[in-house]
Amino acid sequence: MSFPEIFLGILEGMGVTLTVTLFGLCFAIPFALIAGVLQQFLSGWPRAIVTFIIEFWRSTPVLVLMFMFYYSLPVAGIYFSATTVAAMTLGLHIGAYGSQSVRAALQALDRGQVEAGLALGLTRPVVLWKIELPQMVAAMLPTFVNQFIQLVKGTALVALITMNDMTHRAKEISQITFDPPAIYSALLLAYFMLLYPTTIFGRWLERTVGRRTGRTTEGRAGDV
Amino acid sequence: MTFDIPFLLKVLATIAKAMPLTLAIALVACVGSSLLGFTFEIMRRSNRFLGYVMRFLIDFIRSTPVLVQIYFLYYVLPYYSVVLPGIVIGGLALSIYYSGYLAEVFKAGIDTVPIGQSEAALALGLTPLTVTFRVIAPQMLRNIAAPMGNYFISILKSTPYLAVIGVAEMMGTTLEIASQTFRYAEPMVILGIVFFALASLMALFVRHLETRLLQSTKR
Repeated sequence: MSFPEIFLGILEGMGVTLTVTLFGLCFAIPFALIAGVLQQFLSGWPRAIVTFIIEFWRSTPVLVLMFMFYYSLPVAGIYFSATTVAAMTLGLHIGAYGSQSVRAALQALDRGQVEAGLALGLTRPVVLWKIELPQMVAAMLPTFVNQFIQLVKGTALVALITMNDMTHRAKEISQITFDPPAIYSALLLAYFMLLYPTTIFGRWLERTVGRRTGRTTEGRAGDV
Repeated sequence: MTFDIPFLLKVLATIAKAMPLTLAIALVACVGSSLLGFTFEIMRRSNRFLGYVMRFLIDFIRSTPVLVQIYFLYYVLPYYSVVLPGIVIGGLALSIYYSGYLAEVFKAGIDTVPIGQSEAALALGLTPLTVTFRVIAPQMLRNIAAPMGNYFISILKSTPYLAVIGVAEMMGTTLEIASQTFRYAEPMVILGIVFFALASLMALFVRHLETRLLQSTKR
């Protein structure tokens, strides 16, 4: 097989990669927002529970989480497809990281904003939704873009739970033709093409937002 | 899930036996990625052309999955008759992958050291290398200890990927015991708990270090 043939063969797995990413986002974004807000507003035992849930999803390696749920949910009588398990574990893992930037953005906001909103007679949830969240978006965006990149890269792991994504396609092709340099260069190239524009966009966002808010957003990115 | 205590203990013992190797690989990757990342960042700053090259390289490393980088090194190096054991490939792959992230941390760190520091040191006749390692690095490390620590935790959490190239770290040995007994659920849960405990311990240590360093800068 020639390099273009190998490359096109690998791209056949792009659909699975993108599907898992999309469903992963459906878990990650709500979890990040809800967990981050709850961790900020709760106190005492409820807060400890939320913190534990976040830390569980963040501190356990995502591959271990994926295998754990892939194998132990059926034991508990719950049958999810590989796509669902992969999207859930990747999404919640990335979402747990995201929740920390949500919380950081909430804390960084000027207290006067909330006080002014409350003084005007708005309820606390309305202040959160209409005043705090819109202002937080700019501060959170660079981290979220970085987390998104981590999520897409994380989808390479679904090859290990039998899903036919780009990485799995590369392994399949390597069984037909012995040409590791071409196959794995093509695989690197495929992910690079998919993510390089986002990496550049994230860099640009970091610079722009950093200039506006005067602080750097580098720090806790995911680890997938 | 039925609880078979002897089996769980056996799994736990196997994981414990693989723990030193896992920690050793993580430690090597922490040192390797720091050195490599710092070198990348210094090269990125050295001149314009090299700056573009290094920036592209760092972005390339950051834009591809670590699993794919592991596969690449593991399958491509032997093709050019460079045969290395899995442990070495694993340490190398994790070092390269995280150097891309640590280079960014070092970039932010170097920016926090006032330019007057290096100018003064150079004016005193110190060589650029001495200025880099004796003047800038110590001041920078204080500011970036926390993000660096967080990436070190990430490195520990990335060691399970090495199971795919047959390294007998904690994930690899757990998978082995699981495939022998056809019981995957319990060993995976135990492995998760062990990693969770290790990562939480490291996180506590990083937070402790962070507060201590913050106090020492206040004084």
